[in-house]
Amino acid sequence: MIAPVIFSKHGVGRGILNLAGEALPVRFAIDGDTVHLHIAGQTRTVRYLDPLSTLAAANKEGDHLAARAPMPGVVVATRVSPGEQVAAGAPLMVIESMKLETVIRAPRDGFVDQVHVKDGDSFDRDAVLVTLSQEGR
Amino acid sequence: MKKPFDTVLVANRGEIAVRIIKTLRKKGLRSAVVYHEVDAGTPAVAMADTAIRIEGRTPIAAYLDAPQIIAAAREAKAGALHPGYGFLSENAEFARSVAAAGIIFIGPSHESIELMGDKIRARNFVQRHGFPVAPSAIEEDDPQTFISRARRIGAPLLVKPSAGGGGKGMRVVRDLDTLEEAIAQARSEGLRYFGDGRLYVERYVEQPRHIEVQVLGDCFGNVVHLFERECSVQRRFQKIIEETPSPALTSELRQRVCETAAGIARAARYSNAGTVEFIFGQGEFYFLEMNTRLQVEHPVTEMITGIDLVAEQIDVAAGRELPFVQSDIVVRGHAIEARLYAEAPERGYAPTTGTILELEYPDGEGVRIDGGIQQGQSITTAFDPMLAKVIVHASTRDDAVLRAKAAIQDLLLFGCETNAAFLARILGDEGFRSGKVHTGYLDENPRLARGDEDPAALRRFLAAAALLTRPIREAADAIPELHAELGGWRN
Repeated sequence: MIAPVIFSKHGVGRGILNLAGEALPVRFAIDGDTVHLHIAGQTRTVRYLDPLSTLAAANKEGDHLAARAPMPGVVVATRVSPGEQVAAGAPLMVIESMKLETVIRAPRDGFVDQVHVKDGDSFDRDAVLVTLSQEGR
Repeated sequence: MKKPFDTVLVANRGEIAVRIIKTLRKKGLRSAVVYHEVDAGTPAVAMADTAIRIEGRTPIAAYLDAPQIIAAAREAKAGALHPGYGFLSENAEFARSVAAAGIIFIGPSHESIELMGDKIRARNFVQRHGFPVAPSAIEEDDPQTFISRARRIGAPLLVKPSAGGGGKGMRVVRDLDTLEEAIAQARSEGLRYFGDGRLYVERYVEQPRHIEVQVLGDCFGNVVHLFERECSVQRRFQKIIEETPSPALTSELRQRVCETAAGIARAARYSNAGTVEFIFGQGEFYFLEMNTRLQVEHPVTEMITGIDLVAEQIDVAAGRELPFVQSDIVVRGHAIEARLYAEAPERGYAPTTGTILELEYPDGEGVRIDGGIQQGQSITTAFDPMLAKVIVHASTRDDAVLRAKAAIQDLLLFGCETNAAFLARILGDEGFRSGKVHTGYLDENPRLARGDEDPAALRRFLAAAALLTRPIREAADAIPELHAELGGWRN
């Protein structure tokens, strides 16, 4: 289905989105590659992934897999050190967030390449905590 | 009458500090607030007449540091201290130290806090005065016969650590063959969380509803209740939506529950504001515990009674008699509170962080916002994730539900993900609208937390985002097709 899509700005952070015959008031804020939107009673944040850097990252991570933080928190204990061989599901790190402890596990078999945070460090959601490589060093 | 104090120190932060300062202003009293460095840019610090910085190993530790807070009260020449909720509000030792420093503690006596602070002591007190408690077996009474006494109550049972709170270490036993195993597990959890392995077992009410009653007493022995609040919509024992009146009570049951609560407070010679919590199910209610402080959800009571609870707390602490009797307190309409949290129910209620880029509260008839945040402020995981409370009042429950949902949807907050969409889903859910909720309601309806994707909404967001940043992206890449444009987006 092809439908005309028009967005017209009205003042700072406001506009109207015309989509499939609907005219919807939009509130927005742009922060770098992140766009915050409030449309029809819902708020959502979308992030633009530059295709070039996404591709570059995919190549780089080819045999390096990262265990990322599922939520912001603090490192309670590190269970592995670089060079160590781990099986998928092995505990890598214990993190604490809002008084709840969570175990970060190896996403697959491999060798610990780098531990990026140390005990007591705090981190944001999506931060790389531990990277694994397929081959040992 | 001469005022016994003209300055009040607010020993709290966030929305409740703002809420208390508003009433202090209305009453012509000076306000002082303590704050940790991370809260320097919050509305409470900006609003107070005096703000005194306190320090701690962690931000929470600062707000728990009694000597530092009492020193701050002295520095501000405060004649009284309001503890808010959480932190030191239910710490009997703190209430005693405040009084010993010659400062009026705006709350009940430290004896009342002590009595109600220990679950078993409170329960025994309530039972001794003839009020309903769930059939139970307390290990300490006679450890040898604990298990046989527990078996005699019959399934289903709830095993609880005596020192417990927040649902930690609690276990439901539906088959008595698993009782011993559940006791062993609850004991190890009790030891781990509270350093205390004492247990008790009580009758478990299936599909229980959490109903609590607001009480208010003065130093002259007068006690009134301000009706009930229903707080059954909970996740991990954390309340999310509260309302009053409860849709579960008949007027006869309402009267019984409310009079029971007032009776318990009277028996305890309770002064100031407090809340008696009950478990309600199958037409029966049992005493659960008494909270000796102002509750987070107190605004719904204020909406239906027209009584400012903080103002009454201050007057009672100043030694005044309650200005009303029970028959003066009447219920008008229906009120609902929804708690806006910095968390993502869609990802297992994981906490969220960020900097508030834009904040606009809904307004209009029957809408009240108790908030403690402002534009530019960072939201971190240092504290409880509650950002603000959206409270509405309407003449009927149906209208209040609609108004609450509209207010949540009108609230604009950019920069930190919140649970707003989840709150709107609950308020729009048939289960909630029909009033058939219990404390397991969210666990039984995981789709409410999950939030199934609405393709039409997603299309709107992606289209707006794509069109809004077209000039930036055209410089970055040159993929002309609409599909390719949308393909670079994720959320």
